Amino acid sequence: MSSERRRLLIAVVATLAILTPLAVMWQQSRLPSSYSVMDMGYADYGGGPKAMSHHELMGRSIATLVADPARKADVSVTLTARRQRFTLASGRQFDGYTVNGTSPGPTIRAVEGQLVEVRLVNESVTDGVTLHWHGIDVPNAEDGVAGVTQDAVPVGGHYTYRFVASHAGTYWYHSHQVSHAQVQRGLFGALVITPKGAVQQLDAVAVLHTYGSRATVSGQEDETPVAVADGTTVRVRVINTDNGATGVWVDGGSYRLLAVDGYDLNAPTPVTDESVRLTAGGRIDLEVTAPARVQFGGVGTLVLGSGAATKPMPTKVLDLLSYGAPAALPFDPERADRRFTYTVGRHPGFEDGKPGLWWSINGHLFPDVPMFVVEEGDVVRMHISNHSGATHPMHLHGHHAVVLSRDGKKATGSPWWVDSLDVASGHSYDIAFLAANPGIWMDHCHNLPHASQGLVAHLMYAGLTEPFRVGGKADNSPE
Amino acid sequence: MRSVYRVLVALLAAEVLVQGMAITFAIARLFYWIDQDGGVANKALFDNDNAHYPGATAFMIHGMNGLLLMPIIALLLLIVSFFAKVAGGTKRAGILVGLVVLQAALGLFAHAVPALVMLHVLNAFALFSYAAITAHRMGSADHLETAGAATV
Repeated sequence: MSSERRRLLIAVVATLAILTPLAVMWQQSRLPSSYSVMDMGYADYGGGPKAMSHHELMGRSIATLVADPARKADVSVTLTARRQRFTLASGRQFDGYTVNGTSPGPTIRAVEGQLVEVRLVNESVTDGVTLHWHGIDVPNAEDGVAGVTQDAVPVGGHYTYRFVASHAGTYWYHSHQVSHAQVQRGLFGALVITPKGAVQQLDAVAVLHTYGSRATVSGQEDETPVAVADGTTVRVRVINTDNGATGVWVDGGSYRLLAVDGYDLNAPTPVTDESVRLTAGGRIDLEVTAPARVQFGGVGTLVLGSGAATKPMPTKVLDLLSYGAPAALPFDPERADRRFTYTVGRHPGFEDGKPGLWWSINGHLFPDVPMFVVEEGDVVRMHISNHSGATHPMHLHGHHAVVLSRDGKKATGSPWWVDSLDVASGHSYDIAFLAANPGIWMDHCHNLPHASQGLVAHLMYAGLTEPFRVGGKADNSPE
Repeated sequence: MRSVYRVLVALLAAEVLVQGMAITFAIARLFYWIDQDGGVANKALFDNDNAHYPGATAFMIHGMNGLLLMPIIALLLLIVSFFAKVAGGTKRAGILVGLVVLQAALGLFAHAVPALVMLHVLNAFALFSYAAITAHRMGSADHLETAGAATV
């Protein structure tokens, strides 16, 4: 062999040595045009008993997991989704999506225990729509995740959601079809469940959302007056519909943090000169007495009564790990049936054939991610850690989890229940929940662009089957 | 192949300049918006998928170039180096691949440790210099060869 030919051979071999692994990785990352999330990745039993695989077991379809069909609705609402140019409360024009002609859509109100029935009509959203009841632990078939719990509703179609407003608190609804685009461009609204039999407390709902580059409070860009007499106490319900956390604080006096993610805190104490960090997708309820000014990241303001002077954001952040007083939990997290790990990282690779730097879960890239398998009645612990360089607001559908510790430091305050938990890079949380709501539930990052970049896993109850597929005829694309 | 090698090396050097211009413009534009137009930048703004804040496009260009385009150019360069008759070509390509990877890693980790941007800037100079010198030397060598050939 001439030296020239040998040289060429070495060059070809070296080239193949670089390109072949890349080609294999590329090929393996390609997603089929439609797939069931149940077939994604690998089962993780969290050290608990291995349930029979869904392939061997003809289980109950998740479509049967609904509210009592015989029961009449107490609250009936029709929500119509449109693609349109609309005017925000501030007067600014925005091209996006509306619910009943506005964004934010109408606030739905129900009393604890009432059955809520919402008829969703898609008038002109070409990608299709769904409605997810963020923070409400609805039956699985009502969860509104395209391709997981239903097909996206096409233009001209409709879908009826029915669920019991089982737990008083502040929640919100939003599309879970192409959600990273639809939520950002307006397809959401607030949902408030008030306690049964209680004296109606005066409340103000503040829906935080950034339209384009404009931060708003319920569509207002500047100050939003709340017309109450000085001396009046108001429950301020704050909903963060954006993709990043924001600081919330009160000027002109102290406040109490009454609730997080729809769950009341035990024995909340007055807070001054501290801000609350509100997770993306999360909610907080503050008790504020007028005159006062409630500020949201310095970009929006509620002025209660005659108001108060504006102050910059307090540098100290209220630590929910030690706020309020401890109380008994409905289960014992020390006697967990399953212990899962959810580690978020980031590494280069391919995702559906696209090269890039992608979020990883337990070292794997989407769709090769864990499927957390549980059985009804399990006490489940999860260790969530983040080494990805970015913050991730982790959102588990259909359940509320209690925070046990952060970076190994135990929670000493009120039980802190969450459905949306901000996990900053370099930090970890231990949480626990009771597996009491059968279904297939997303467990994903609520920085929605991150979810569309693959930061999505699922929690699955053993013995269920699922008739829906991501992709396919309905073009389901939940993220 | 030799000229392809040289073009790719020159392209890497040019990309460093584009990166520097994009990121400084992005920051200047964003500060102008805050300072002159009363714009407010917060986490929600940066995390918005379709945020149209001033400077957003330049930030995006910096990210796409650094994380995608430059690694692809560097990898192509390495492959071309196996075929091109460039003295020490594969070694030089390998060093450039290493510098590109280091640059991307420094840029990424700087999100968690901001002081790393200082090393990111130093490494940008190293990458630019090494690529520019390589391209220049190849040019001189070609020039000498042609000049030599002409005199024979």
